[in-house]
Amino acid sequence: MNKYGPFNWILLVLSSLVLLFLVAPLLGLFLQTGSSEFFETAKDKEVQQSIWLTIWVAFTATFFFSIAAIPFAWLLARKSFPLKSVVQGIIDLPVVLPHTAAGIALLGFISRDGLLGKAASAAGLSLVNNPAGIALAMAFVSLPFLFNSARDGFEAVPERLEKAALNLGASRSRVFFTISLPLAWRSIITGFVMMFARGMSEFGAVVIIAYHPMIAPVMIYDRFSSFGLSYARPAAVLFIIVALVIFTLLRLLSERRKPVFTKSEYVDS
Amino acid sequence: MLILKNISKKLGDFHITDIDLEISEGTYYVLLGRSGSGKTQLLELIAGLNRPDSGEIWLDGENITEKRIQSRSVGLVFQDYAIFPNMTVFGNIAYSINSRNVEKNIVKERVGKVAEELNISHLLGRNTQHLSGGELQRVALARTLITSPRLLLLDEPMASIDASLKDGIKRLLRRLNRQGLTIIHVTHDYREAVSLASRVGVIHNGRIIQEGHPDVVFRKPVNKFVARYSGIRNFFRVEFVNENGEWKAVCNNRMVFNLSENSYPSEGLLILRSDDIKLSYQMPSLSSCNCFKGIVREILPSEYGMEITVDAGEIFYVDISADTFRQEPLTELSEVWLSFKPEAGIALHGTV
Repeated sequence: MNKYGPFNWILLVLSSLVLLFLVAPLLGLFLQTGSSEFFETAKDKEVQQSIWLTIWVAFTATFFFSIAAIPFAWLLARKSFPLKSVVQGIIDLPVVLPHTAAGIALLGFISRDGLLGKAASAAGLSLVNNPAGIALAMAFVSLPFLFNSARDGFEAVPERLEKAALNLGASRSRVFFTISLPLAWRSIITGFVMMFARGMSEFGAVVIIAYHPMIAPVMIYDRFSSFGLSYARPAAVLFIIVALVIFTLLRLLSERRKPVFTKSEYVDS
Repeated sequence: MLILKNISKKLGDFHITDIDLEISEGTYYVLLGRSGSGKTQLLELIAGLNRPDSGEIWLDGENITEKRIQSRSVGLVFQDYAIFPNMTVFGNIAYSINSRNVEKNIVKERVGKVAEELNISHLLGRNTQHLSGGELQRVALARTLITSPRLLLLDEPMASIDASLKDGIKRLLRRLNRQGLTIIHVTHDYREAVSLASRVGVIHNGRIIQEGHPDVVFRKPVNKFVARYSGIRNFFRVEFVNENGEWKAVCNNRMVFNLSENSYPSEGLLILRSDDIKLSYQMPSLSSCNCFKGIVREILPSEYGMEITVDAGEIFYVDISADTFRQEPLTELSEVWLSFKPEAGIALHGTV
C-alpha cells in the first residue's frame, strides 16, 4: 500500500471515474437490451437499410473528399503563404460550430435556391432528402479530422526526403506519390477512419438536410421520439456493434502495415 | 566547370554573401567551415534546392541559376543520407531510373553494377531501417551515382560514420574523383581536407575567407580563424624587427624567434604548427634553430600520438608521434628543449 504515494492513488481514482463514466452508459445499454428484442431489430429491414445507408454514404463522403483534402493537407504542411493561419482556422471551423447550425448553413447552400443546389437541379438532382446531400452534411462536419491528421502526417515527413527525391530527378507528383504519401500513410489512414466514424455518427447536420432517407442516428432518434426508449435501445445497440466491428477491422488493417518511419531517425543534426 | 558569381542569399538572420568560386572539372573541392557557417546552404543553392537572391551559377558553360532541381544533374548526398525508409536498398538506388520507360532488366543491371562498385550488392534486398551509418552512406552514394551527375555534392560525409570506416570511404571518394568526377565536399574537419582536397575553401559567416591549394591554405592561413581551422594552436602576439638584415619576432619583450622570410609587418601574430616543433632532453645542436628550454605541463594521448603542453615562458602545444614518444618518453614536470626551424613560423597581419 505504501509503495504508491497519495498522488498516485488520487490519479487512479480520478482515471477510474472517467473510465466508468464512459463505459457505464454503454454497458447499461447492452445489459438492458434483451436478446430477443435485439435479434428482432437486427432482422428489421428498415433498420438494416438505414445502417447500410449510413455506412456507405459516410464511406463515399470520406473517400471523395479525401481525394482533394489530402493534397491540400500536404500543401498546408509544406508551404507558407499569406493568411495561412486564416485558412487553417476555416478548416477547423466545423469542429466548433453547433452541428444543427452547420446543417442550416449547408441547407441554404444546397437547397434549390442555393448555389450548389441550383447546379445540382440543373443536372436533374435534388440534394435535399438525398444520400448526396447526406454525404455533404457528413463531410462538412467531419472533414477537419481527416485534414488535420493528414497534415500532421505530412509535417512529420522530413522535407529532406522530398528534396532528395527531387534531386534524383523525380517530378513533383512522383515525389508526392512515392515519398510524401507513403510516409504519411498511417496518419492519413487514422484521419480517414476518424472522418468516416465522425460522418457515420453525425446527427445534427444530417437531420436538417435529410430526415429521409434515414441514416442510423436519425432512425434511432425517430424510434425514440415516436415509440420510446425501449424501442430505440436495440437499434442503438446494433448500430454501436456494427460501428465497433468496422473500426476494429479498419484499425487492424491499418496496423498490419508496419511503421516504416519514425521521426526521431530523421531529426536535423 | 562550376562557376559561382556573386552569390548572395538571405536565410532568416543568416546571410550568404558574395560567394565567388571557380571549380574546374575533376577537382576535389573541400569547403571547410563550422556548423552554421553557411556551407550546407551553399550546397543547397548549387543543387537547386534553394534559389539565390542574387548572383549566377554556371555549370559547364550553362547558366543553371533558374534551372529546375530535377534537370541540373547535380547529385547531392545529404548529411543524414535521406534514405527513403519506405523502400528497400534496391528501391532506393533504382529510384531515379525506375520508371515505366526503363525495362526492368536494365534497371536491375544498372543497380547491380553500381552496388557492386560500392560493395553493397549483399544489401540490395534489405530494408533500410537496420543498416549501419557506413552502409546507409554507400546506399546514398549509389543512389546518386546511378544518375551520372556532372557534379557530386557531399554534405559532411564523414560526420555520422565510425572512425574505422572513414578510411574506406575516403578511398572510395578518391577513386571516384580519379575517375573524373568533380566533387564538392563540405566538412568542419580540416583533416578531411588535408587528406582529400585538391582545393580548399574556408567559409565563415556566409563568406569564403580563404581559398586555394590545401598546402597554401594550411601553410599560409590569411588570419587566425583559418589558422585555428587548420588545426594550429600556437599563436604568439609579436613585434617583427629587422636586426642587421635578419628578421626576428619578439614576443612580450622576452622571447625572440628567428624568422626566414624577407619582409614582415611591424606587428602581428606568429603561428606555429604543433607538428613542426621538436622536443628533446638534450639541447639541439643546430644553431639556426629556435631553441627554448621549458617544462612539460601536460601529456595527453591524441590521434597522432601524444599532445604535449610545454611552458617555456609562453605555452607551446606540440604533437609528437607515438613512436617518437616510445623512443624518448617524456614525463610531466620534466625539463625539455623545444625547437623549430625559422621556416616553421608563419606571420599573420593584425591580431584577428
